Amino acid sequence: MELFFRKSMIAVTGLFLCLFLIVHLSANCILLLPEEVARGLYNSYSTTLRENPLIKIVAYALYLSILLHVVYALLVSLRNKKAKPTKYAVNRSSENSTWASQNMGLLGAFILLFIVVHLANFWARIKLGMGDVVGTDALGNVDVYAVTSSLFHNIYYVIFYSFLMIPLGFHLHHGLKSAFKTLGFYHKAGLRLVAKIALIYAVIMSVGFGIIPLIVYFK
Amino acid sequence: MKVAFRIWRQDNPNEKGGFKEYQVDNLNADMSFLEALDHLNELLVLRNEKVVAFEYDCREGICGQCGVFINGRAHGPHDNVTTCQLHMRSFQDGETIVIEPWRAKSFPVIKDLIVDRSAFDRIIEQGGYISAKTGTAPEANAIPIGKEISDRAMDAAACIGCGACVATCKNSSAALFTSAKINHLNLLPQGQPEAYRRVIEMTAQMAKEGFGHCTFTGACEVECPEGISITNIAEMNARYFKAKIFS
Repeated sequence: MELFFRKSMIAVTGLFLCLFLIVHLSANCILLLPEEVARGLYNSYSTTLRENPLIKIVAYALYLSILLHVVYALLVSLRNKKAKPTKYAVNRSSENSTWASQNMGLLGAFILLFIVVHLANFWARIKLGMGDVVGTDALGNVDVYAVTSSLFHNIYYVIFYSFLMIPLGFHLHHGLKSAFKTLGFYHKAGLRLVAKIALIYAVIMSVGFGIIPLIVYFK
Repeated sequence: MKVAFRIWRQDNPNEKGGFKEYQVDNLNADMSFLEALDHLNELLVLRNEKVVAFEYDCREGICGQCGVFINGRAHGPHDNVTTCQLHMRSFQDGETIVIEPWRAKSFPVIKDLIVDRSAFDRIIEQGGYISAKTGTAPEANAIPIGKEISDRAMDAAACIGCGACVATCKNSSAALFTSAKINHLNLLPQGQPEAYRRVIEMTAQMAKEGFGHCTFTGACEVECPEGISITNIAEMNARYFKAKIFS
């Protein structure tokens, strides 16, 4: 039972997070517009999100998904470590599998680090009111654009935000492909299509999220 | 041809074990890998030393006994092959060849390169069979089976239970083996009476034996001598969910 339940939980929460990333990246694209358009649009969008009760439910589902994804991944890793107490003196695993598939835990740890910093940068400041007070724009909306823009004009944060999208891409590629198999999708041609979609999806997410801080920095 | 074998030596399951290196000369590139080990053991006998314990049976690539980890790969450097079908021509003259037993908590080392794979037998005992009436053999064509189903069942049935999937998996997952055994029977009409029970009980035993979770690295299907596809694992998952809902 636990062999299936834990992996299924990782797959379901992972797929939900994959859907969330699409919405998140679409919204981030507003940052690519000229500042005068982007500021108003970005701030009114984030106000709509904060005030919509439906989005509140989705937000809680999101926090829960991240938490469950991490907890079950830890439980799975723990059992897996126990199942292989002795490692091989020589192991050429790169000849039979991808590096990403062998190191999902490490890639996930990088992403978790990213999420913690990301939440501290935005969620803690805007929703919890921690750190410097966030002002409002001309329309009276909380100026989330200013928070983003100032963050992406700090080269250290730009490097952090862009660089950590590389492990995200690898994690998403393997994760998306595997989630379908974990949940019992075994149609061969369908799985080949899923593999292609997973690659395209991972590239778009990784490059998309990774390039926006750079563009904002150099804009 | 001359090589150095760096072999895991361990007298019994409780001993710590360690590597020992042996220089072996006068090998032929066309020798099978097991013949080269036989040659080493003959030298060890002449030197009054303990021979290296390793398993084999058919030496035809169909029994699944000769599983060892060679130079970081299950069954050696080639994909989809057993150790007995590996030849010394796959190695360089003067090369050091590292040979280790399968590593998994559920496959404890018995001696040197021999591991206890009875965990697989216990999985099979939970449902890797069909119930059939004894007596006269039934008419072979009494139950027609479509070509596509028969092909898929035969592909899964090809599993020889060598344990390379567990050995190469970083999680020591037995999902490829168990799924092949489940799908082979659950695909066929003869396997239907126990179909739900089979998937639930065989996977429960797989968990009880201490094997890890499948994380779909895909290493198992590359090392499997029979090329059992990893989609069998996805199919087993589907069968498990179906059994949980409908049984």
